[in-house]
Amino acid sequence: MSQALKITLLSLICSVPAISLIHRLFTDQLGANPVETLEHFSGDWTIYFLLLTLSISPLQYYFRPRWPIPMHLVRRVLGLSAFAYALIHLSVYFAFDMGLSFNDTLVDIAERPFILIGMLAFLILIPLAVTSTSGWQRRLKRRWSQLHKLIYLLTFLGILHYALLVKADLFQPLAYLSLFAALMLARQLKGLKRN
Amino acid sequence: HALQFKSNPEYKPALELTDPEHALHYNNFYELGTAKSDPFQNAEALHTDDWKVVVEGECTKPQTFDMDDLLRIDQEERIYRFRCVEGWSMVVPWIGFPLSKLLEKVQPTSKAHYVEFVSVLDRKNLPGQRFNLLDWPYKEGLRMDEAMHPLTLMATGLYGKELANQNGAPIRLIVPWKYGFKSSKSIVKIRLLEKQPISTWMEAAPREYGFYSNVNPNVSHPRWSQAKERPLGSFLKQKTLMFNGYAEEVAHLYKGMDLKKYF
Repeated sequence: MSQALKITLLSLICSVPAISLIHRLFTDQLGANPVETLEHFSGDWTIYFLLLTLSISPLQYYFRPRWPIPMHLVRRVLGLSAFAYALIHLSVYFAFDMGLSFNDTLVDIAERPFILIGMLAFLILIPLAVTSTSGWQRRLKRRWSQLHKLIYLLTFLGILHYALLVKADLFQPLAYLSLFAALMLARQLKGLKRN
Repeated sequence: HALQFKSNPEYKPALELTDPEHALHYNNFYELGTAKSDPFQNAEALHTDDWKVVVEGECTKPQTFDMDDLLRIDQEERIYRFRCVEGWSMVVPWIGFPLSKLLEKVQPTSKAHYVEFVSVLDRKNLPGQRFNLLDWPYKEGLRMDEAMHPLTLMATGLYGKELANQNGAPIRLIVPWKYGFKSSKSIVKIRLLEKQPISTWMEAAPREYGFYSNVNPNVSHPRWSQAKERPLGSFLKQKTLMFNGYAEEVAHLYKGMDLKKYF
């Protein structure tokens, strides 16, 4: 199988949750609060894909798997999937919570810390998505990996955005935070071992 | 029990009813789990056999009522708007009786200024009570004039049937001009008090949940606006009404009060 075909296949696999969501949308299976379902689902998958993206390097270091396509391409598809789900998340919010009003959105950002933090995370994700291509990687050289270290910050902000939303049950955001912490720790240990 | 009830024409607004499927499957009832789908899925964990409601405190005739006693009070159907503090709403037909009819039976004393509602405590069976997310049992309160208001209902049924467990069986409170969490589910004790009680959500997050919690589009929750609401089943939002549309009936209760301070 050619590399291009494998990348297409991986991208298709990453879009399975989105396809299932669209199916539920058109068969009236989003439940009593369809907008909330769309937002929670796309938000959860944004975080899953960010965590998956962050798990590639530790996997490589500890298990050295035989990747079907070069590791950096796997990571690119996963990272861009996170961006795609974040875009769905933000679009649903803008269309149905804010009624397509930029003014209402600005007020919401100003008044609510969890919205501000979510927006910040998304803003940081944009340049990472734009510069994910090989061309940009070549042009930016060492700066590229420095820039893409921002994924640590934006993943943390994404989880914080979720934690600040819940009323009393912090189980899920704390589970995400633990996974994030474990992945960060795995990176630290790798650095220590190398020294 | 087959519920015997009469529709009350005074409370039959020309509003479209929420799909019963939504009202039965999308619930906040943390005793049965914190996800909206949990209360329906875990409904069996709530045991309602031999249910009793103790009414005590500042009254001359404290009593324990069983469900037969409570169902002997004339049951009527009323269509009310219901607005959750989270920003969703519904319009549903409750069956029940005014709380005032129950309180009159115990003869409150002149010291009865507040009413506290205590919900079910069953740590062994209720999955949500295995963790101390909230200080169980769930407690809520009303001022005496709010409790005696004709709109304040003790509900025993919904959509023509007995209350489903996930909706707070066998008996719950409905205060239609307040956010939904004020309308305690599965009540086992009602206490008449001289001093204002501390409700469970006030205790958990005092900055976010006040004692009054009247529906008010002009006072934001610290984390989201309350100006609009999304009716269950709908994609689009609609404007939230002052006192959830019951301003004519209840605004006088709060005359002269700063509703930003007493949120």
